[in-house]
Amino acid sequence: MKDKMKQLADSIKKYCKADDYAFHIVESQDLHTRFAQNGITQHINGTNLQISLEVSFDNKTGAAEVNQTDEDSLKNLVKTAENLAKLNKPDPEFVSSETAHDLRNFEKPAERTLKLSTKEVVDGIEKCIANAKKKNAKISGISQKNITSHYMETKNGFNGYDKTAHFSHSMTMKKGGIETKVERSCRDYSDFSMQNNIEQLNSQFDSLQEPQKMDYGRLPVIIRPQAFLTWIYYLSWTFQRREADEGMNPYTNKIGKRFFGENFTMRSIVDDPKIQAPRFNFNGIPTKNIDWILNGVIKNMQTGRYYAKKKKIAPASIFNVVIDGGNSSEEEMLKMVDRGIILNSFWYIRPVDMKSGEWTGLTRDGVLYFEDGKIKNAVTNFRWNEILHNATKKIIALGPSQQIQYNAKVPTVLINDFNFVDVTTF
Amino acid sequence: MKYLELALDTAKSLGADYADIRIQKSKTEMIYLRNMSLKNTSVDELFGYGIRIFKNGAWGFAHSNIFSNDAVIQTVKQAYTIAEQSARLKHGSGLKLAYERSYIDSYKTPYCIDPFDVSLEEKVELMMEVNKTLLNYEPIKQALFTLECRKDEKLFGSTLGTRLELETVYIEPMFRATAVNSTDSQSRTFSEGGKATGWEYIQNLNMKEKAEIVAEEAIMKVNAESLGTETRRTLILDPMHTALTMHESVGHPTELDRVLGWEADFAGISFATPEKLGNFQYGSKIVNFVADNLIQGGLATNGYDDDGVPNQKWYIVKDGILNEYGTTRTTAPLIGQKMSRGCNRATNYYDFPINRIPNLYLEPGKVELSPQDLIADTKDGIYIEGMGSFSIDQHRVNFQFGGDMFWEIKKGKKVRPLKKVLYKSNNPEFWNSVDAICDKRFFKTFGVTNCGKGQPGQRGRMTHGGATARFRNIRVGGSQ
Repeated sequence: MKDKMKQLADSIKKYCKADDYAFHIVESQDLHTRFAQNGITQHINGTNLQISLEVSFDNKTGAAEVNQTDEDSLKNLVKTAENLAKLNKPDPEFVSSETAHDLRNFEKPAERTLKLSTKEVVDGIEKCIANAKKKNAKISGISQKNITSHYMETKNGFNGYDKTAHFSHSMTMKKGGIETKVERSCRDYSDFSMQNNIEQLNSQFDSLQEPQKMDYGRLPVIIRPQAFLTWIYYLSWTFQRREADEGMNPYTNKIGKRFFGENFTMRSIVDDPKIQAPRFNFNGIPTKNIDWILNGVIKNMQTGRYYAKKKKIAPASIFNVVIDGGNSSEEEMLKMVDRGIILNSFWYIRPVDMKSGEWTGLTRDGVLYFEDGKIKNAVTNFRWNEILHNATKKIIALGPSQQIQYNAKVPTVLINDFNFVDVTTF
Repeated sequence: MKYLELALDTAKSLGADYADIRIQKSKTEMIYLRNMSLKNTSVDELFGYGIRIFKNGAWGFAHSNIFSNDAVIQTVKQAYTIAEQSARLKHGSGLKLAYERSYIDSYKTPYCIDPFDVSLEEKVELMMEVNKTLLNYEPIKQALFTLECRKDEKLFGSTLGTRLELETVYIEPMFRATAVNSTDSQSRTFSEGGKATGWEYIQNLNMKEKAEIVAEEAIMKVNAESLGTETRRTLILDPMHTALTMHESVGHPTELDRVLGWEADFAGISFATPEKLGNFQYGSKIVNFVADNLIQGGLATNGYDDDGVPNQKWYIVKDGILNEYGTTRTTAPLIGQKMSRGCNRATNYYDFPINRIPNLYLEPGKVELSPQDLIADTKDGIYIEGMGSFSIDQHRVNFQFGGDMFWEIKKGKKVRPLKKVLYKSNNPEFWNSVDAICDKRFFKTFGVTNCGKGQPGQRGRMTHGGATARFRNIRVGGSQ
């Protein structure tokens, strides 16, 4: 693939007359096997190609993208981008393309993932369905395999190639009012155990019998890793340096200060073979270990190339998520507070107010009530409205950080006084 | 067309029970302006085909961007092999397809000026003028403008004998001003969503004039007070707001695939189950939700869906009662319906078509009533314009919405602007609380171009509409 991409790159460069350019060639091979109510409902296989080019004449820019590889299409790609740039207005925030960088050594994706067949994927789903039938339940979900190759080059000398692969599986088992979900992904399919996933699903499912209604209010909450990761994804989205400096998010004048809880640390890392880290990001910036929040102190924020140049700092983007864990088990957490609830998933998280950092969301996939150190019963779902960075200041304990996705490692967390504002009526 | 026939012939020779092919070219122009800096000016073109094979009651789908006889044959074989694997784990005793006849037809979005024929210069100049207008106000620290134009050209053929040539176009302008003071930052947005039409739509929008209002209201909002403790209040909601509430609380719950549990692992299921058809009081008696894939300018007005079923109009909720669903050829037979309502749509050539919300609107009131009359008739309430925070549970029952602009109403008058207003409600409480809807003179539409659904995710499109409506006794309060 790399050779084919280089050939395409040579053609683009041959036609391109612009003062500056950066282009990407991305090929993605996918298998998506979707199942619902104990049968396969959708099954997709194919390869996608994106050839995207951004050019500039002086500080006027234009961009185009095609998915065809013949010479006429490539000529047209260059012509479209160049024509747009020529017609465009000057960009006062223009930054020339990235220069050459030494990139980390290329790591070949796991052979087992590359060779995973459609039949094996269906075999895995068959086990899930058989398990659901034994429970007299219905199961729905998706198994997906993805292999992505990325080639990037710029006029100023950046040249990078990367290839990654991962497998992901998600399933929800439902029977009457009980529904619960397990979702995992990995870089190497050898690390994936359908049996372990099924056992976890069964354990969650069995714990959720006859959910009771419960009043909402401020409550201690044990947030399991999958739920915690969803929250972190949304928090990351708004973790932007420029918006902070412009007064549009909660982090204005907070860089270098303790703004999160003391035991909250978030990083992106490149040195754990199980956690995917691209060699470079879409701007041609090499990835490296970076602390975003260290013991509650904001160390770095996501920053685009223009703003980084203006502020004389390094551009940065979150490319994977690692939250440092602690030593507490879930059993120990149950005893740290008088009462509280345990959550498997969050659902439909949305910002309520960007400036204050208040978000809303719901619980999903099973909620358990505990009291006096023991799980008492399942309860119905809640809505919460919470200022997320403030919630990290109420962390009482953290479990060990666990790899739950191919690009994320997070712990179970116990947080005091989480602001539940409503209960669902089902 | 030769690849279309080759694909279908190959599918038949392999023994497919049904097959179709969609050859689709999609062109998207995107311009993004932030504080007078053009962050993106791009034209993207995607060209390829997706082939669906139905065999032994199960689907297989494969796609390719390579146009050659070998590639087409290979892609058909791939789809066939996948369908065979799917049939190992059939849904029930195997899926069935609703009856449909064959069509040879074409459809094109009606428009005067092709947005792709308008020069970049003209577009950027207009956007910069609006940006400048917004930034002329000192408290406005961020001015955004995005303009998206998209054209899809499709050839659809099926083993039923259907041959369709479809061309759809839409434009979506959106601009936003963010005002900042010493303690807060608040935004105000102009957006009517996307519209299936030509550049003439933009020419008639008077955006510069609207920009002044947007900037002034953003400043008003950042300096406004927020609402205190949650209490039960009257809400008056404008159609740009109810477009989102109907999308989330009526559109999604009445997609039949969700009702059947096909989205249980991701987007969720629906409370609006089949035994409720014809008897569930979804809304008050004046609430009628019309599915209308024939409406002019509608983003789901495509001539035919991706099952080759013609666009139709029907009631989802009639006189307050749940009447019907949005269905596809695959989902309709599962509740005993003989024919599909034509809601099967894919976004790009490589997407598998899924059960989508049709164009859906709240029918205007039959009695003459203006928004001003409605405010004058309200002693104490909150008037909400535009869209803000939104969140709904996975059964589509309990929800919380914000908005873009808020006004307090006292004794029939808008007395002051507010910020950070949230309301909570549920199905069926919310739509049953409607006691007045303005008449058809005040009907407006909003085109949704980013409806996320499916795995892998697709960005679906449909149009919603309505006139300003009043909701009684809803839990309304301020955020923290």
